[in-house]
Amino acid sequence: MITAGLVEGLAGIVGARHVRTAPAERVTYARDGLPTHRRVPAVVVLPGSRDEVIAVVRLLATHGVPVVPRGAGTGLSGGALADASAVLLVLTRLNRILGIDPTNRIALVEPGVVNARLSVAAAPHGLYYAPDPSSQTACTVGGNVAENAGGPHCLKYGVTAQHVLALEVVLGDGRVVELGSPGGEPWGPDLVGLFVGSEGNFGIATRIAVRLLPLPRAVRTLLADFMSLRTAGEAVSAVIASGIVPAALEMMDQSCVRAVEDSVYAAGYPRDAAAVLLVELDGGSDAAVTADAETIQRVLQEHGARSTRTAADSRERERLWQGRKKAFGAMGRLSRDLVVQDAVVPRSTLPDVLETIARIAATYQLTVSNVFHAGDGNLHPNISFDGRVPGLKARVDTASAEIMEACIAVGGTITGEHGVGLDKLRYMPLIFDAESLTAMRAVRRVWDPEERVNPGKVVPVHACREWSGAAKPRAIGPGSAERDRLGAADPGAVPRGSWEDVPA
Amino acid sequence: MSERGGFEALDACVHCGFCLQACPTFLATGDEADSPRGRIELMRALEAGELTPDDAAVVVHLDRCLGCRGCEPVCPSGVGYGRGIEAARALLATKRRPAPLARAALWALTTPGPSRIAYTLARALRATGIPSRLAGWGRFRFAMGMLAATKPSDGRTLGRPDGKRRQPPSDSPTVRQSVALFRGCVMDGLFSHVHDATVRTLEVNGYAVREVPGQVCCGALHAHAGLREEARRLARANVAAFGDGDEPIVVNSAGCGAMLKEYGHLVAEARFATRVRDVTELLAARGPRPGAPVDAQVAYDPPCHLLHAQRIADEPYRVLAAIPVLRVVSLPDAAQCCGSAGLFTLLEPAMSRAVLAPKLASLRTASPQVVATGNPGCLMQLGAGLAAGGLRATARHPVELLDESYRAAGYYA
Repeated sequence: MITAGLVEGLAGIVGARHVRTAPAERVTYARDGLPTHRRVPAVVVLPGSRDEVIAVVRLLATHGVPVVPRGAGTGLSGGALADASAVLLVLTRLNRILGIDPTNRIALVEPGVVNARLSVAAAPHGLYYAPDPSSQTACTVGGNVAENAGGPHCLKYGVTAQHVLALEVVLGDGRVVELGSPGGEPWGPDLVGLFVGSEGNFGIATRIAVRLLPLPRAVRTLLADFMSLRTAGEAVSAVIASGIVPAALEMMDQSCVRAVEDSVYAAGYPRDAAAVLLVELDGGSDAAVTADAETIQRVLQEHGARSTRTAADSRERERLWQGRKKAFGAMGRLSRDLVVQDAVVPRSTLPDVLETIARIAATYQLTVSNVFHAGDGNLHPNISFDGRVPGLKARVDTASAEIMEACIAVGGTITGEHGVGLDKLRYMPLIFDAESLTAMRAVRRVWDPEERVNPGKVVPVHACREWSGAAKPRAIGPGSAERDRLGAADPGAVPRGSWEDVPA
Repeated sequence: MSERGGFEALDACVHCGFCLQACPTFLATGDEADSPRGRIELMRALEAGELTPDDAAVVVHLDRCLGCRGCEPVCPSGVGYGRGIEAARALLATKRRPAPLARAALWALTTPGPSRIAYTLARALRATGIPSRLAGWGRFRFAMGMLAATKPSDGRTLGRPDGKRRQPPSDSPTVRQSVALFRGCVMDGLFSHVHDATVRTLEVNGYAVREVPGQVCCGALHAHAGLREEARRLARANVAAFGDGDEPIVVNSAGCGAMLKEYGHLVAEARFATRVRDVTELLAARGPRPGAPVDAQVAYDPPCHLLHAQRIADEPYRVLAAIPVLRVVSLPDAAQCCGSAGLFTLLEPAMSRAVLAPKLASLRTASPQVVATGNPGCLMQLGAGLAAGGLRATARHPVELLDESYRAAGYYA
């Protein structure tokens, strides 16, 4: 229960001005980067230090009140939203880079450090932090850890999990544990690997040690444009088949290109192309990278590129990348509301899946723009719509589900990097059976037995029998009778995540 | 004025959050309610009637917005935040009277009769040298520092001239382009030396500057305070005063320039807005002509209403580049607001100083001799901050520096 006494206690820890209870203030935290989901938290707390975080979590534990951690709120699955039964713990004030060790190429940061600022701070040492989600100018490292964030350059360098060495974590009961070791491989199970991507379900990271990489000595960025989505999709497979691993391989379709070209981030992408590919090659020597770039350029031309060009200098490269990275934010130019999806398919199926998505868009008369990590087969269909039109949101939801089912049908999965959060709870039973979901919950309960940290996210907790029959789980699981029993075994005492959210 | 009063400019926001790190108040508090995205949420709720204009929390967080519009140039969807916040403030103004301090300041600074007395008294006080001795932190002492910062330079701020005499500009075009000078209120009352420098440097570059009678304050301070009707009244007076010719209207205050360029939205007077030019735009269009070398280090600090609202980035650098030997240093957070924001520095002193602090810290590291910025509020805020922080640099308008260089070159002989 959230009582006046609890609010007073919170103010005693962080100072009254860092506790937000006014409805207007709480409303500003009701959404993240996927604004179709809306939850107004009961209280918002903004601690200023690690010790304050620990004290807040302990106080909430003694009151049995759920807590939801949040960074910059740029997530795209509704993962950082708290409802009226929970306290939202905002970590933006924990934004100190505690140290950079250039010799061992390690940075120790607080969770509220903005991703791009870490690379800026590391640059004087010739180092950078590799995972580069498109929101990197705003999102926090803590949020990246929670979501196991990806980004264009993760094709070659791996996602967040490959770059986190050690963590200090506050568990739901207020205990502090240390995972991993910045000095090297810890013995025992890979708990860091387990924690990264747990979407705030296992605890709250208060200190994060990450790996820094030397800045590549040579970089080439290519832009290729295509007259059909299918050709562009086929060129992606051809690039990968060439044996060269690009640092990044991104695709944008026409609708997306035009939105970007209308914005301050206009990069000079051809507006008449059906799709553009952005390919980056990097490495230790200019000669090697130039040779690779020439090979890739030839492959692109042989596979239907209408034209290709290489960024002349770092300024043009930056422009090409800024256009790509801000594309999601430019979608507001198409319509006032937006749903972005996140699915992964085998690369070779990209041409077919893109056509299926276009067909679904046509069926439901919706505008779908594609901007995605093609090299990873990680799709991001953006559906633009006007939420004020009656019935349109329902159509968007149906189309979203069909897109997701199409991705699963070709052997894909429901999220590449945005996480499950609230948004994808409804898709979880499409790929996991009751036993797998129950196992996930059991793992979560090892960290957070009372399921008080970010409750109601990731694993759908209500009666698993609802899923049986309707679902076609891929994993091999128990029969329906047993599924019923497992489902009934835990009625789910925690607030359940419902996805029937109000339209924006 | 549109049917929805400016709120429609917010429709394009899709909540991506790319504006967060461009917002000085979000950087100061880390609170979404102090961010552009959070305020847009509040403004949308205001328009929809879900929150009321007398809601104390709404008022606090919207009042805390500097109006620097640093969020606009980073927004991929082109959200018109500035228009939205003015619409919201106009709505707030229907439920409350402006703060007494804001009212008093507007009256004293912008009303033709009283402001003449106020500025005369201020200049007299400035001349005693007392304000510069009192400059410091705290509300009163900071205000004294702001007044001290308006003092004209004694001409020895920069390195000594090299003593060489240069030819007066004999190659100036015989037919000079006529431009009309916008004098404004604070600029005219406390920075008339910048107007003088503007006239001289423009003339060296082939312009003939014409004085326009009957002009009044631009109305920016009123619009930002939600007093739209007063802003409209002033706008109409200015439109009438400057007539309907084609001659450019030259402005040396970024805040006024941004406002004049938005008269199209305020009083549906699109043509007037197209004539408005910042002084650095006009100078850069002519080169400008190089002056005498000046051996000094200058940090250029772009005013928000020049960089974000008018999107003028390169021209001030080109003006400074016309001064040989002058070294212009770039600060990492130069594009961020200094915390002046019109009356904001008086009305929200705590937030204003919090926004100023990181800028002062990087100025301390760079330790330039001069901080150049083209807006009266910024000149006063930075000048007061430099004095309070014990930094030796002074704040100057870029055309003042060019003017000194021209004087040393003998162009005015």
